[in-house]
Amino acid sequence: MTKKGWFSLLLATSFLLSACSQGNNESANGNNSSPGSASPSAENGTEAGSDLAPAKLKIVLYGDESNRMKELAKTEFYDVVKEEINAEVEFQFLPWTEYAGGKTDLMLSTGEDFATYTDSNYMVKSVAKGLYTDLTPYVDAAADLGKNVDEASFKAFQLGGKQYAIPVGNKPNSAEFYSVLVRQDLLEEVGMTEVTSLTQLEEFYDKTHAAHPELVGFAGTDARRMLLYDYTDKNLYWQNEFIALDEAAQDDQIISWFESEDFKNYANLMRGWYDKGIIPKYAATNTPQLQSDWNSGKAMIWSGTAARPFEGAATISQAVPDAKLVNYFLGEGRPKISRGTYSSAFFVSAAAKDPERYVMFFNLLQKNQELYDLFAYGIEGTDFTLDENGRLTKLTTDALIPDWLLMNKNFMRFDNTVPDDFIAEYKAWDDGAIISKGAGFNFDNTPVKNEETKLNGVFTEYMAPIGSGFVDYETAYPKALERLKSAGIDKYIAEYQKQFSEWYAGKQQ
Amino acid sequence: MQTTENKGLLIFFYVCIAVFSVVCLVPFVLAVSGSLSTESRIAAEGYSFWPRGFTLETYQFLFGSKAEQILRAYSMSVLVTVLGTASAVLVTTAYAYVVSVKSFRFKNVLAFFAYFTMLFSGGTLPWYLLSTKYYHLDDKLIGLFVPYLLSVFLMFLMTNYFRSIPHEIVESAEIDGAGHMRIFFSIMIPLGRVGLVTISLFYALQFWNDFYLPLMLVSDQELYTIQYLMYNMMANIQFLASGNAAQVGGAIIAPPLETAKMAMTCLTVLPIAILYPFLQRFFVKGIIVGSVKG
Repeated sequence: MTKKGWFSLLLATSFLLSACSQGNNESANGNNSSPGSASPSAENGTEAGSDLAPAKLKIVLYGDESNRMKELAKTEFYDVVKEEINAEVEFQFLPWTEYAGGKTDLMLSTGEDFATYTDSNYMVKSVAKGLYTDLTPYVDAAADLGKNVDEASFKAFQLGGKQYAIPVGNKPNSAEFYSVLVRQDLLEEVGMTEVTSLTQLEEFYDKTHAAHPELVGFAGTDARRMLLYDYTDKNLYWQNEFIALDEAAQDDQIISWFESEDFKNYANLMRGWYDKGIIPKYAATNTPQLQSDWNSGKAMIWSGTAARPFEGAATISQAVPDAKLVNYFLGEGRPKISRGTYSSAFFVSAAAKDPERYVMFFNLLQKNQELYDLFAYGIEGTDFTLDENGRLTKLTTDALIPDWLLMNKNFMRFDNTVPDDFIAEYKAWDDGAIISKGAGFNFDNTPVKNEETKLNGVFTEYMAPIGSGFVDYETAYPKALERLKSAGIDKYIAEYQKQFSEWYAGKQQ
Repeated sequence: MQTTENKGLLIFFYVCIAVFSVVCLVPFVLAVSGSLSTESRIAAEGYSFWPRGFTLETYQFLFGSKAEQILRAYSMSVLVTVLGTASAVLVTTAYAYVVSVKSFRFKNVLAFFAYFTMLFSGGTLPWYLLSTKYYHLDDKLIGLFVPYLLSVFLMFLMTNYFRSIPHEIVESAEIDGAGHMRIFFSIMIPLGRVGLVTISLFYALQFWNDFYLPLMLVSDQELYTIQYLMYNMMANIQFLASGNAAQVGGAIIAPPLETAKMAMTCLTVLPIAILYPFLQRFFVKGIIVGSVKG
């Protein structure tokens, strides 16, 4: 190549490099400046908006943006936020595929000014890269929210004593999936009243199957929580697919789930269900269909949560108007376990110019009934009506700020199909529940990243089918275990145990 | 003797082509029939060549809730495809012409710059930075096609094409006093028509099928293209069905899954499928001419 050619090449390369490094500087600057700019108004965060300098906020949400949401974002939502905290808020919707990765990652790394929700896994990864703003100095700006959201929920989003995300939501969610959600109408039809043991559950299946052979039994592939009472004495709580904790034991021991005797017993139980037909044969290849069947009233049982009897009833009643759903536990004597009552938590990107204002916005989401109604349901008279008992009738099906995200038992409204005793039961669901001893622990997977990727592969290919009873434990397990070992399960467990023990010891002090 | 041999060979080829085209056609037939079937029967019995339990429910679901949006996204796709193809062809042929001009000193340097990007790329992050922070392409119509204006492969294809045009024609034009503009527009473009159509087709396909640019650069719904709209819908449906939704929140929706996928496939493929037979001869011609002269 000619001299000029080389020169131009060099020039081009330097342009490219400078463009990249400029971007880095930009985000680095944002990073440095944000904690420094801890504004003096931190104490009077709840004052009227007019005292504050104007600010711009960008809130990223995932899912489809409904037409009504689009309208409100430009009118009422905008006005209210402007009035309350003198900020111009803009909502951006991304597909769910970009949650905790994809474009969210790009936006964080390129130093964009925005906030969105996160889970603890993504938080740990992003904080390690310095992509989240440390919100500790601004927590006071969320004082109203703090009254309506559990203290433990805040702890779940702390790392090294620093608050990296502000939790929203407060709903009874202990024992998620530990109960069996039963179609009570079918149960009564076959002459039974309740289900309190596995034997009764299988009896229910047999009888209903005889009467309605077209119905599937269990509309899921994972019953390890609801069947807990039948295959182990421990009160297991899963940290992830591979690791469980025994909440009954007061120690820091983690359990390698797939290598445990409990897994063997569970897999054999599930194999029985699969052979018997309680889990439909198509489940192995078409999992989404299970939920579809459940929603269209073609299944007898599902895994239960506190809210599912009324959340689910709304969907099923379209297909089966008189469907009734009731939660049952297949045993007793083990306290319900909770991970915390939050729905999700908002973080603020490291490059945000005014992190405090973001926190003030989160505060609005859970501040009082009036604002909650506005963000979750819209405008009274246009989007919803309330009867004298405060029961809700929605006039539009368009979703606004997703209500699962905001759901707070202090504010949420029920429609008039939900019986009073159920609401009482729902609100008392968490009574006597314990917070998991692992709540607030966030695993840093950097040292075992490769192992984790391989293990996830082994899980999908080998362990999940054994766990769901699609293949026989005795024949498939030896090979699966071998794969698990060669993927590095021992190293992974050892690392997890090490981090967990350190964290646990720190918590005890 | 020779004719019978030829005949035998011809029949053999026809059979081969027929088998091959049937193989190619099968997925489309399955998609169309799937989109017209009921979800539950697809789940229970699998796909078939004839719709299982004929219904238009899936299309009703897609159009019912989103008719206006789909229509808008369709026109946006058409607009982006037309604008994008026109400007991409202009940029590409112009670059190709410059590289093909024999007397131009820096032609190899320019060619090398283009070639270099085929081998090495800066990666997503610098690209995203450049597009949003420096060129400000986010949330703008031009953001939906400007990043794809120069496909290096097609540029070289076009360069070869221009080079195949006898140099004497250009020389005689120069003698007659024509400048580069004149040569480019009055000689190269008309003579390179076949190549032009070929690259136009490639570009049009690319712009039509693209959902990456809107995903990365657009947040305004007005600018959603049909492919991105479909991608968005699919991503959300899949997420809701995957059970992750239950972990994040507990939303319950029952969308027609498998059939919806098929219906979306049909909707997006349809215009291309209709257009293709008419343009196909250019495709073939372009590649053949290129192979002989190139």
